[in-house]
Amino acid sequence: MMKTNVASLMDYFYEQMYGDLKILEKDRLVIVSKLQKTALILIILSLITLIFLTSRLLFPFLHALVLVSTFSFLVYLFIYRHQSAGYRLLFKEEVIAKIVQFIDPSLQYQSENHISENEYAMSELFLDDFDRFSGNDLVQGTINGVALKFSDLNVEKKIEDRERKEHWVSIFQGLFFVADFNKKISHKTFVLPDTAGNTLGVLGEWMQGLDKRWGEFVRLDNTTFERYFVVYGDQIESRYILSSSLMERIIAFKEKTGKSLYISFVNSKMYLCVDYKKDLFEPILTQSLLDFAPIKDYFQLLSHVLGIVEAFKLDEKIWSKR
Amino acid sequence: MQTFLIVVGIILLIAILMYNNLIAKKNQVNNIFASLDAMLKKRYDLLPNLVASVQEYTSHEKTTLEQITALRAQASNTTQNTHETISLDADFSKLLGTLMLSVENYPELKANENFSHLQHTLNELEEQISAARRAYNQSVTDFNNALEMFPTNMMARFMRLEHKALFEIPKSERNTVDVKKLFKH
Repeated sequence: MMKTNVASLMDYFYEQMYGDLKILEKDRLVIVSKLQKTALILIILSLITLIFLTSRLLFPFLHALVLVSTFSFLVYLFIYRHQSAGYRLLFKEEVIAKIVQFIDPSLQYQSENHISENEYAMSELFLDDFDRFSGNDLVQGTINGVALKFSDLNVEKKIEDRERKEHWVSIFQGLFFVADFNKKISHKTFVLPDTAGNTLGVLGEWMQGLDKRWGEFVRLDNTTFERYFVVYGDQIESRYILSSSLMERIIAFKEKTGKSLYISFVNSKMYLCVDYKKDLFEPILTQSLLDFAPIKDYFQLLSHVLGIVEAFKLDEKIWSKR
Repeated sequence: MQTFLIVVGIILLIAILMYNNLIAKKNQVNNIFASLDAMLKKRYDLLPNLVASVQEYTSHEKTTLEQITALRAQASNTTQNTHETISLDADFSKLLGTLMLSVENYPELKANENFSHLQHTLNELEEQISAARRAYNQSVTDFNNALEMFPTNMMARFMRLEHKALFEIPKSERNTVDVKKLFKH
């Protein structure tokens, strides 16, 4: 049974986590003070170099300023990465893994693993070819008998601009969630954010009708749902999947998250992507570990995601899949 | 002369587009209706089994069962048009609903594995039929809209297309009953 009670998390925090966190908190403070010292030294060094460069008239002031600040910023970034890497791993072990354990001890958490490229491709939600695929914080297991899996993903592609300069463009960054779907399905159904319909109105809807990349355009009978999403798939099966109640649940989830949702139903699996546009479950170095508030935030995010099973009633076994 | 030809060409092109659009909408309705009809047939095929197993355990449901058998005969004997299929389906859903409610009074029947399997299949089919009904209604609405809206309405009149009827969505589907709530009081 999933635990979602904040009060019992507080007990767990003080009984099970606090001791280890105290030790980690000391590490954090050491790192922070090291970084502060590094910053101070770098500023002094940069100032000296700046004065040296401009007094000898080797560079004009503005050039020298740009040069020195870029260089010292890069040095700082390098030291920051180096210092925080170890802390990041320990943080995930002591905080994220423990919270996952608290919610449901049967769940598995791997901080350095992620949803595979194959699973990403199976969802068929993003059709662009990607050049870089990364992620972390994989959680997998079963909730109420429903097998599920989710992780952070960052999928990017490389594009060249007119001057043949390379740029990395994000295809998707956020949370990628897969679970068994409770209805037997033979076609593919896609629920995507409705951008064209919202911005261009009737014209946008006409364009969506012409877009055959995901299958046939399906117009549903729920106006709120239609405002948020555009649906492609088989005319009958997509309505079989998107029952009135599931549409309401998806709307509620979308409104609670406030992010763009991409959902597909393929091979009796439901894929759901939440476009957070950032890496989730990461530590913030300047934040104390002994505060309960940030712990609560991580917990609420995790239980929100794991709550998808109950929110979408994926655990309600439909007869054909018994 | 040239401008005249261009204008005629454009008008002709628009007419062709409208014509094709209307035909596509009409075929969409027919297509979905065909799948819906297939599902309804599947449901009718399940009925002899259902009637047999209910009969075995119950004595008071005779009238309902007879009605179901009569309706099924009607459904399988005559080739119906869309209107008849729609009204038959509505009658049927109502009867099936009452039967499933009264089944609650027969614990032995409910415990029967054959029957519960049948009930599950029927439930599943009911969900699919409901989805098909919604799909059908949407396609009919699209079609009817095209029949009424300018300028496709003129083309439709010329093609002698007629309005199509919608399926009535049973009340029970509009607001799903929360069973848990019923038992709380």
